[in-house]
Amino acid sequence: MGNLSYIILLPLIASLVVGFGKLGASYARLIAIAVAGIQLLILAKIALVFDPAQAGFQSTESFDWIHLNLGSLGHFVSHYSLGVDGLSIGLILLTGLISFVALWNSKDIHEKLEGYYALVLLLNASLMGCFLARDMFLFYVFFEFMLLPMYFLIGIWGGPRRNYASLKFFIYTLVGSLFILIVMLGIALAYMDPNETALAFPNLGFHDLSSIQTALAAHEIAPNQIVHSFDLQILSDPKNCQPNNIFSPQSGFLLGGLSGRAWGFWLLFIGFAIKLPLVPLHTWLPDAHVEAPTPISVLLAGVLLKIGAYGWLRMAIPFFPTEAVDAASIMAGLGVLSIIYGAYNALAMTDLKKLVAYSSVSHMGFVLVGIASFTPEGWQGAIFQLLSHGILSSLLFLMVGVLYNRTGNRQIDNFSGLATKMPWFTVVSGIAIFASLGLPGFSGFIGEFFSLMGAFTSTHLTPIYAILGGLGILLGAGYLLWTFQKIYLGSYFVRESTWELPDLTILEKFSLFGLGILSIIFGIFPGIIFELSEIFVTNSLNLLFH
Amino acid sequence: MPIQTIFLALLILPWLSAGLVALLPKKVQVNASILLAGLFTYLAFQVGHMPENTTSFPWFNLGGKAIVASFWVTKSAQLLLLLVSIVAFFVQIFSKSYLAEDPNIGRYYSYLHIFIGSMTLLVLTDQIYIFYGAWELVGACSYLLISFWHQKEAAIKAAKKAFLLNRIGDIALLFGLVGLSQYFGTSVFSGMHGSAPAMIGIAVILGGIGKSAQFPLMSWLPDAMEGPTPASALIHAATMVAAGVFVGIRVFPFIGEEAHLFMGTIGAISLVSGAFFALFQNDIKKALAYSTISQLGLMWLGMGCSASLFHLYAHGIFKAGLFLTAGSVIHYLHHQKATHHADAQSLHNMGGLRKQLPLSFIAYLIFGAGMLGIPFTNGFYSKENIAGFLWDSAQHSAYANYYYVLLGTLALGMGLTATYMCRQIYLIFLGQNRGGHILEKSHTEWLQVIPISFLIFLSLFFWISMNPMDAHDSVFLSFFHIANYHIPGFWLGITAGSWMVGLGITYLTRRWVPTKNYQFLGFIWPSAYRLAWYIGQQMQRFDARIVDRIVVKFTELQVVIAHLSAWTDRHLVDGSVSLIASTSRALGARLQTWQSAQLHRYWFWVFFTLVFILIYLLY
Repeated sequence: MGNLSYIILLPLIASLVVGFGKLGASYARLIAIAVAGIQLLILAKIALVFDPAQAGFQSTESFDWIHLNLGSLGHFVSHYSLGVDGLSIGLILLTGLISFVALWNSKDIHEKLEGYYALVLLLNASLMGCFLARDMFLFYVFFEFMLLPMYFLIGIWGGPRRNYASLKFFIYTLVGSLFILIVMLGIALAYMDPNETALAFPNLGFHDLSSIQTALAAHEIAPNQIVHSFDLQILSDPKNCQPNNIFSPQSGFLLGGLSGRAWGFWLLFIGFAIKLPLVPLHTWLPDAHVEAPTPISVLLAGVLLKIGAYGWLRMAIPFFPTEAVDAASIMAGLGVLSIIYGAYNALAMTDLKKLVAYSSVSHMGFVLVGIASFTPEGWQGAIFQLLSHGILSSLLFLMVGVLYNRTGNRQIDNFSGLATKMPWFTVVSGIAIFASLGLPGFSGFIGEFFSLMGAFTSTHLTPIYAILGGLGILLGAGYLLWTFQKIYLGSYFVRESTWELPDLTILEKFSLFGLGILSIIFGIFPGIIFELSEIFVTNSLNLLFH
Repeated sequence: MPIQTIFLALLILPWLSAGLVALLPKKVQVNASILLAGLFTYLAFQVGHMPENTTSFPWFNLGGKAIVASFWVTKSAQLLLLLVSIVAFFVQIFSKSYLAEDPNIGRYYSYLHIFIGSMTLLVLTDQIYIFYGAWELVGACSYLLISFWHQKEAAIKAAKKAFLLNRIGDIALLFGLVGLSQYFGTSVFSGMHGSAPAMIGIAVILGGIGKSAQFPLMSWLPDAMEGPTPASALIHAATMVAAGVFVGIRVFPFIGEEAHLFMGTIGAISLVSGAFFALFQNDIKKALAYSTISQLGLMWLGMGCSASLFHLYAHGIFKAGLFLTAGSVIHYLHHQKATHHADAQSLHNMGGLRKQLPLSFIAYLIFGAGMLGIPFTNGFYSKENIAGFLWDSAQHSAYANYYYVLLGTLALGMGLTATYMCRQIYLIFLGQNRGGHILEKSHTEWLQVIPISFLIFLSLFFWISMNPMDAHDSVFLSFFHIANYHIPGFWLGITAGSWMVGLGITYLTRRWVPTKNYQFLGFIWPSAYRLAWYIGQQMQRFDARIVDRIVVKFTELQVVIAHLSAWTDRHLVDGSVSLIASTSRALGARLQTWQSAQLHRYWFWVFFTLVFILIYLLY
């Protein structure tokens, strides 16, 4: 057991204690925040020992978990194996931070507090598990498990249409995970784990990786002697595939004009695209966001959406590299569609929270455009955008929460000229809005800039995608500035005279300004994040084009 | 101090000043800010006489390439830096009096420092990423300063418009810069040599259109006059809008002649249309804004060569002076009992102000002379230099006729310029007060007089050359590597003719005052915004009615299927289970007969199975 396990186990145990310990509501909050704080400390320690120059996973842990003999189909193994690399380090730090911020800002939840905090901790544990798992089966377990707390968090503590929203979220995500499940089982059955096979059948006399892979290709290993595993690295090497399997690069299998591997790629792609969410699979997002309480929106936008892009970078693309590169234009097209469509929809919104939700759709489109460029700039930009959007969307949702707490309303038309009454709130909202519209000096700019630059210079895409993405930047400035002008500037006006609008409390100032300052730091010194993911990006791209 | 330290201090000081001014108590804020601006000007002068050099600091790594924060002290950067620091310093002094009663004056001064910091970054950087970053930052400063009076509806609308129109240009610039770095294989300007494809050059130039308020993205600049007048003097007249010219100057050596001509054409259109629309303004600040568009067009006509740079400097001085003088006129009218509630910027309330404001009258005359390019002002040299550049280029270019056309447009623009400038001086200071107001003589606002006097001083000829008609012996020009282009003597005749035309038209139309502010292409942008909003509405409708509904209906279909299958389950499956139970009982009885060792029956079943398998394999 190492630090990585503690990161997952700590909130898991705390969740049980809070949920079933009958400790009382005030302790629930205390314990939850303390656990999130301790988790942040452990994360800090992991980040400090993390060596950016080292390729592959670090701080790894691995235990045998499942071992199945399937007879003629061979053996199935799955490990409880965790690890952190250049891609996941930033995301677990983000998860820790955003969970802390979400718990910190949960003061306005008043009902069933034990249940609430227990579920948020549970969500945190499964999110961490998703980012840390090195085994696809383990990942899938965490991925599915995440649904449960989210469903209840929206369904119990949500707004008036919470049942509809939570069910919609549940069904959408379930369909997505179904696609992932199909590919996971198919690919695991198709692939052999050379290490495990050599270990399980020492009599075959294999010593090195290439000899065993050659033997596999030459049909020298009997199917019942093959050990299948879900290890992500094993699944990322097509040489481990059994010949004649539909997932084999050599197989002539075609279905609807697509090879088996292309089917695998697209199913995984769609499965994760629902999570991102990519237009046209996005309609769960505005509903879920509008109904979810503020801290849950923060977690949803800040962390949950990132799993979609994480899944592409970790599974869909490394598993099926050639198919992914072939799909570059379609992916970039979908990304651009998300950017522009999300931005136009945001422009039409009158509900501030829906506007922020659609802006998420638009901003996550940049991630896909960056990924589809298959250039170091684009990938770095995409990973940076994930983290930057995690911070900025949290900030924006907290901003909506501030208004909603005080008035129970979030219609943009109902507010005007808040700058005169709430100067601190205006300053921090200004930071959030200008950072989100991609002003240099803030983190949003770096992510969008390098994603587009990757797309512009990529040999796999024509520059038109980048130019259309640039249009998204313009629209982004449009709806965000419009919001800022309507709500904060002008002469003071609120719809109901009974609405009191006191400025930020000290608790709110702490979290809002903290996130804002973080965005400025990353905007001026993007190297902090680029350095972490540098090796991951160069290695992954080398593997794609070797 | 070593040069590196001065350089770093220059880059960082404005940002520290902005923070400090915001945090200091109200009483000392303004004085501290002016002091810090003075310190900045001192540092700018130190950097201003450095030899050309490049400096870089490590920044971050990307895809195995080290991205350094590199800076390039060039002559053009130094000249612009000096202009920014001098004008900013005078504007800060002027603002102390102009905004004395504003409770948020500290915020205003902070914004000014942020602007100075961004502008410094813009002129000194060598790195395209920082250049683009600084480019957007000055746009954001412009947004903040225009919407400084954030209760004013017109001001915040103008600010939004300015930011969005700038953004359109910015996107072109972004792709232009990335294209340049891609083509030359380097992300620093100092490493670019040769000639880039015309498309890339044109993209960069398109980027400058937004910032310099050139045709067709010009309409934000007149609206931007809703901001405080001294801020307009600094950013919307002298420096920020000149950033569009500066980018042309930066890329001039390596974008090729087609891109140069594109820049010149945009400049020519803006020169004429800006000057023309300046005639139809009722608001003196808006007239000056159109005049800025027109003068920036003149710089664009220089296509980014050193003549553009020269006019940028000369214009920066006299236009800042004009704005500050206009500001002091507005300030005066606003503080008069008779006109306190009237529109202090409207020509209807002016006329005959020479009696009350003699100093402003003289200042306006001298700055106006600079604008007209009358000898003994710096504007004379810089304007002749641009004409000289066009003439010179025409002599050895494949596009000679095109250059002559541009030269002709310049002559037309000069005539219009002389007209609106003379008219403005006449309508403000000469004749009688048109509002019929009885005004008292003003007491002297020294904080306004001193900056204006210094700017008058700077806009005179002897800084450039002791010879008022020719600058070939100029120390100034040779220090800043500005070429002195020559044009044959006939041009002087045309210049003089344009003054005559201006004075003549002014005399003939002296009784006519425009009743409102006519906007050039002003209608396009609000409708573009409405169009975007409309598309948004439609997309939203599509999203809710089609995309979402498909998903919902599909899910509902599942429910229907579920009910169907439940029905099937109860009636058919359940039924069939009992059916199977009864059949199997019957079958059991049948199968018992199999065991009766009747071989032919075995054969029948084997044959039957084989046929089935064969059929399956064949199809």
